[in-house]
Amino acid sequence: MLAYILRRLWLGLVTVVAISIVSFVIIQLPPGDFVDAYISNLSASGSMVSQQEAQSLRQQYGLDRPVWVQYGKWMTKVIQGDFGMSMEWGRPVTEVIGDRLWLTIVVSIAAIILTWGIALPIGIFSAVRQYSIPDYAFTFVGFAGLAVPNFLLALIIMYFGFTLFDLKIGGLFSAEYQLAPWSYGKVGDLIAHLPLPALVLSLAGTAQLIRIMRANLLDELRRPYVTTARARGLAEWRVVLKYPVRAALNPFASTIGYLLPFVVSGSIVVSLVLSLPTVGPLLLRALIAQDMFLAGTIVLLLGVLTVIGTFLSDLILMWIDPRIRAGMHE
Amino acid sequence: MAFGLPHLARLALGITVVTALAMPGHGLAQGSLSQSGLVGQPEGITIVTDPAQWPKTFNEAPQLADLVKQGKLPPVKDRLPQDLMVIKPVKEIGKYGGTWRRGFTGPGDDENGNRINASDRPLLVDYTGAKANPSLAKAWKMSEDGKTYTLNLRRGLKWSDGAPMTADDFVFWFEEIYSNKDISPTTIPDMTPQGKPGRIVKVDDYTVNFVFDVPFYLFEDLMEGDTLIGGGQAVRQSNKRSHGAYAPAHYLKQFLPKFAGGVDAVNAAAKAEGFDSWVARLHFKKDWTLNPAVPVLGPWRTVQPINNAVWVMERNPFYWAVDTAGNQLPYIDRVTMTLAENLEVLNLRAMAGEYDLQERHIDLGKLPVILENQARGKYKVHLDTALNGTDAIYHFNMSYEADPEIAKWIRNVDFRRALSLAVDRKQLNETFWLGVATPGSTAPGEALPYFPGPGWREKWSTFDPKKANEMLDAIGLSKKDGQGFRVRTDNGQRLRLQVQAVQAFLPWPKISEMVADQWAKVGIQADVKDTERNLAMTRTQNNEHHIMVWNNGGTELLYLFPRHAIPVDPTEAYMGPEFAKWFNSGGTQGKKPDDPNILKMLELYSSAAGQKSEDRIKTAQEIWKILIDGQYAIGTVGQSPALMGVRLVSERLGNIPARNCIAQHCRTPGGAHPETWFYKN
Repeated sequence: MLAYILRRLWLGLVTVVAISIVSFVIIQLPPGDFVDAYISNLSASGSMVSQQEAQSLRQQYGLDRPVWVQYGKWMTKVIQGDFGMSMEWGRPVTEVIGDRLWLTIVVSIAAIILTWGIALPIGIFSAVRQYSIPDYAFTFVGFAGLAVPNFLLALIIMYFGFTLFDLKIGGLFSAEYQLAPWSYGKVGDLIAHLPLPALVLSLAGTAQLIRIMRANLLDELRRPYVTTARARGLAEWRVVLKYPVRAALNPFASTIGYLLPFVVSGSIVVSLVLSLPTVGPLLLRALIAQDMFLAGTIVLLLGVLTVIGTFLSDLILMWIDPRIRAGMHE
Repeated sequence: MAFGLPHLARLALGITVVTALAMPGHGLAQGSLSQSGLVGQPEGITIVTDPAQWPKTFNEAPQLADLVKQGKLPPVKDRLPQDLMVIKPVKEIGKYGGTWRRGFTGPGDDENGNRINASDRPLLVDYTGAKANPSLAKAWKMSEDGKTYTLNLRRGLKWSDGAPMTADDFVFWFEEIYSNKDISPTTIPDMTPQGKPGRIVKVDDYTVNFVFDVPFYLFEDLMEGDTLIGGGQAVRQSNKRSHGAYAPAHYLKQFLPKFAGGVDAVNAAAKAEGFDSWVARLHFKKDWTLNPAVPVLGPWRTVQPINNAVWVMERNPFYWAVDTAGNQLPYIDRVTMTLAENLEVLNLRAMAGEYDLQERHIDLGKLPVILENQARGKYKVHLDTALNGTDAIYHFNMSYEADPEIAKWIRNVDFRRALSLAVDRKQLNETFWLGVATPGSTAPGEALPYFPGPGWREKWSTFDPKKANEMLDAIGLSKKDGQGFRVRTDNGQRLRLQVQAVQAFLPWPKISEMVADQWAKVGIQADVKDTERNLAMTRTQNNEHHIMVWNNGGTELLYLFPRHAIPVDPTEAYMGPEFAKWFNSGGTQGKKPDDPNILKMLELYSSAAGQKSEDRIKTAQEIWKILIDGQYAIGTVGQSPALMGVRLVSERLGNIPARNCIAQHCRTPGGAHPETWFYKN
């Protein structure tokens, strides 16, 4: 058991190092560097950077040195807990991410709660009342939800929200609270802004979950133990909820690995369309601007969280599923 | 920021445009810009230079008056300089108060704020973009021999912390910032005419001389333009830049090794504050967008830095300008810029009336929807036309070599002229500029002295496909393949030109598709390569492109920003990267142009720096004539509102000019003196 866990931990560590190298290389792959991106960005908005300024910028950022030197310098710092300065934001990377991390977690958790809150009851209902008219209706809506890209939905909702209901365009705070320090009013304002992004973020996940839940539960409902339980006169809701639903939930334990990075990054495209101040758009921006330390740190963070998440779901599975524990001893 | 995300942006744009078209009766009849009521007459503030007409008593904003009462601030008359800057606003005397809400796209968008503080430079052009006005300097003069340029600063000028601003701040910049290789590694052409370094010399507290070894009459233009030397503190010392002719010596000295106990001491202090080195610390400390403590000279100073969700500025209590009634400017208390994660959101917020005045990042393509929402967003739309000749300029790469057949045709003047005659500029104008721009050559606007003269807007730049066909036949491209495309003379295959287009502030790939269709009608196949912009830059620097499309904004002042007109700057030399390397290295790198006309243009350009104003203008006109006659770059449609020319102004704002000057050196919107704008209620 302990050996199993240790082996998993060691593999996780190796994966993280590999991720850090691969992400750094991939960020370097596109032609040009941060200074090129900065120049063309300014150039496209009607200002200029002279050759002398560009050269000076490259030296300041150390972009004139080879990739491995840049990686080595960064890694030495990372090991000491310093993730470097964001080139674009001119602040320590940890601060830039930290600013947005809590809001991202709030939005993502709201989306997860909404997803599970909608999907599980509907999935159970669809399975229990298979081929009923509501089941067909949910199936239709579910497939539509799966098929429509999230960001498109976000755009449409935002447009109609603006034209029909005069909603504020994007963001998580009203103008009067944007600058204000945290207060009950500001929290209320945040809660008022949450439903739209949470809804959009949760829709595709919801559709998917409904399908999985329905399929899993249908498998379980046909098992003999369900018939036995019914024959012994148990109330129908108890028959369904007590055993088959619990068994059907098993596969969700293995998806926790992907839940953790989602909680931190949110959905990049949707957040971007809705202009949410979350980590997702920050990552995209950093990649486009080739802000290496910021992009590298976020990718590293996501990688580490995926590894931790997978590790956790391994542990949970081991705990809830005796078959896995049995397998280890062989 | 015309920052990335092309697909998403296009998609979102598509949706907005579709919705717009679905709404009947939007107020813009195509091709009737003059009747649309959206384009006003150019107008601007007047600077009262006669001391007899200056106000004798002064007022200040209520918040500042309170601070004076509490003893935290000297009285207003002591904060203002003896040599006042007295501004007569466009319409009326304003009122104090209000917060100017704008949108920005992140820390890379420092120009958004730099520009509204544009008066922090020695001189600033007036609303025409053609004449310099006093700003920090009350007077200026170039000596007869062109070797000494004198600035007379305002006596009693003060930094935003109340410290005096004098000639010492200029000398400090020159000796301690610009001459320090750790901070500013290279010399700049603005201070080194013909490679000979110039100097900044203090004459007295309020008189500064720029001294050169050779005649450098061009320095007059450099000081007036948006240049490394004349650009002022806000833009030239933010975002790790280190130029701008002056710097707050009394504040910055504490971060320099020379004044703060040596390199080790400042490095230790830097490390303690979390910076890698004293240089990194200095770059942070002198950046007004990041460091609220650095003294500035513009109307507003940062109170919450740019690397936050909201960038906040507040009035500079020592701002040195008053209106004709003696009210210290600016009228507006605060500026708040709210971060928009993408341009679609920024445009939607503008239409929802969430900004009070926004011209930056507004998309001309959305004009119908913008007009549609005028009443509910409580704003008025102005269209301001730019001074540059073309928003889509097709540069032929004259130093291209990889494919000798292509290179041969690119170098053929009649080939280039024929392609230009085959472009239907009217169709482009109506499709992409909603009919509000001016078709024609690359020449700068008629309003500027550099315009080469009547006829040069049209020269080789009208739509004449018949003549184009005849010319192409005549030069030896008469053979066509089965589908009617002209074929190469070396192997009989179809002649295929590549047009490299980047999705930036205009949809250049789409514009180029239309141009390619028009060229197809005269039998020329052009493949549009929708290229990611960094890749485009790399390919261009490696001399790999046939044709590159960009805009020529800035070239209206040819000497200050020549890179999109003639190949002199290797950073962006679309017309011939190898020639630019040759020119820039003094002939040691790159390739010498084989076209005598290009050589002549480069010679003319080099000689201009030592010429007096009148000759310099003639030289520029000469360069434009060679450029247009040779069609080294095809001009399409320009003098448009595409870049910063669609202006949404809240109905509550007063003193707003009917037309803004749209150009780099006008520092749109800063050239219109935002410190004179005010909220009516």
